Amino acid sequence: MIRHHAPGDAKGIAHHPSDELLLAYAAGATDEAVGLIVATHMALCSQCRATVAAMEKIGGSLLEALPPAPLADTALDAALTKLDNARPHVRPHRTPSRDGTPEVLRAYLGGDLSQARWRRMGPKLAYLPLFRHGRTSAKLLRGAPGTEVGAHSHHGQEFTLVLAGGFTDVTGSYGPGDLQFADANLRHNPIADPGMDCVNLAVTTAPLKFENLLQKIAGPIFGF
Amino acid sequence: MNPPGDAARLNALLDRVAAQRDRAAFAELFAHFAPRVKSYLMRQGVAPAQAEDLAQDALLNVWRKAHLFDPAKASASTWLFTIARNLRIDAIRREKRPELDPEDFKPEAEPDMGDAMALADDEVRLRDAMKHLPPDQALVIEASFFADKLHSQIATELDIPLGTVKSRLRLAMARLRAALGEMS
Repeated sequence: MIRHHAPGDAKGIAHHPSDELLLAYAAGATDEAVGLIVATHMALCSQCRATVAAMEKIGGSLLEALPPAPLADTALDAALTKLDNARPHVRPHRTPSRDGTPEVLRAYLGGDLSQARWRRMGPKLAYLPLFRHGRTSAKLLRGAPGTEVGAHSHHGQEFTLVLAGGFTDVTGSYGPGDLQFADANLRHNPIADPGMDCVNLAVTTAPLKFENLLQKIAGPIFGF
Repeated sequence: MNPPGDAARLNALLDRVAAQRDRAAFAELFAHFAPRVKSYLMRQGVAPAQAEDLAQDALLNVWRKAHLFDPAKASASTWLFTIARNLRIDAIRREKRPELDPEDFKPEAEPDMGDAMALADDEVRLRDAMKHLPPDQALVIEASFFADKLHSQIATELDIPLGTVKSRLRLAMARLRAALGEMS
């Protein structure tokens, strides 16, 4: 079955971020790459939006209950003198997405997913690096139906969010909006489902451990 | 901790800042929130002088963004928490925080006049539920919000297995969800 992704609420999301991950995002403990994949999932999932909103309320309650730390006597006056130069915040104007790419992701892509400038990596696989901080990287991957990434395990953590199409591995099937979490305990070989290209947002906190010799050599060149 | 009327008072102050650029209302918000934001930042290891500067910045953000505050979505305290959290990520971690954009989804339902009141009730119930959490569960929730650490590091710090941290979080979240009654 082909599931089309619609912004706001993708239908039939079966794989959500864990409570621990949502809580880390709500608390501000996730790094930028993991934050991006959680926020992009939330753009597609009303259930996780509600969960994070509730977690932020917990943050508000905790803030309210903290013992106040006194400020210098001059602090308020110093703030008041800055008010005249503090202009009201204006949300930047953006052209609306034509294909339903979540805004939070468009900010990193510089536009819509359908306009993305993919880099080819063989006949069936394309990728687009978004950014890298230390060993953590965020990238987009696009595989034609039947594409195999290649059997691998993990040095660190791997987060994969399906944006279009779907893939299947030993743990199950993933469609638009589904988020897969993998770490050192999982060895898998994801295969793109038939029907349409599978487009994923992928975040890894360390390079993947490929088993095939060619991929072992090519992996680092492409930033995997 | 605070009477329910306090939430309504803080909302009204924010409204005066947004609609009338009311400096007296701002001063009251500053007196309430700046010391709490400073306290929040110091809990996360920010030095007192920098915590004070960032607390000032947080309140300047309140002045600049008061018109974007929506009392049907969050209380003033929750809104301040998100502002302080994002400032900390900017200043201390020097990273951007990917945030959900309002354009990314249609409102779940049109907010109405009752929403802000229902929300204030929610927060009172939530605070009550937090107070009644077993101490070991309250500890991992607080550590999650104040430690700027992932749960594996919290486990190391509390000297308990990661699985125990996760199960305490799940138990705590189940209780808090039940108190809110709005999440499946």
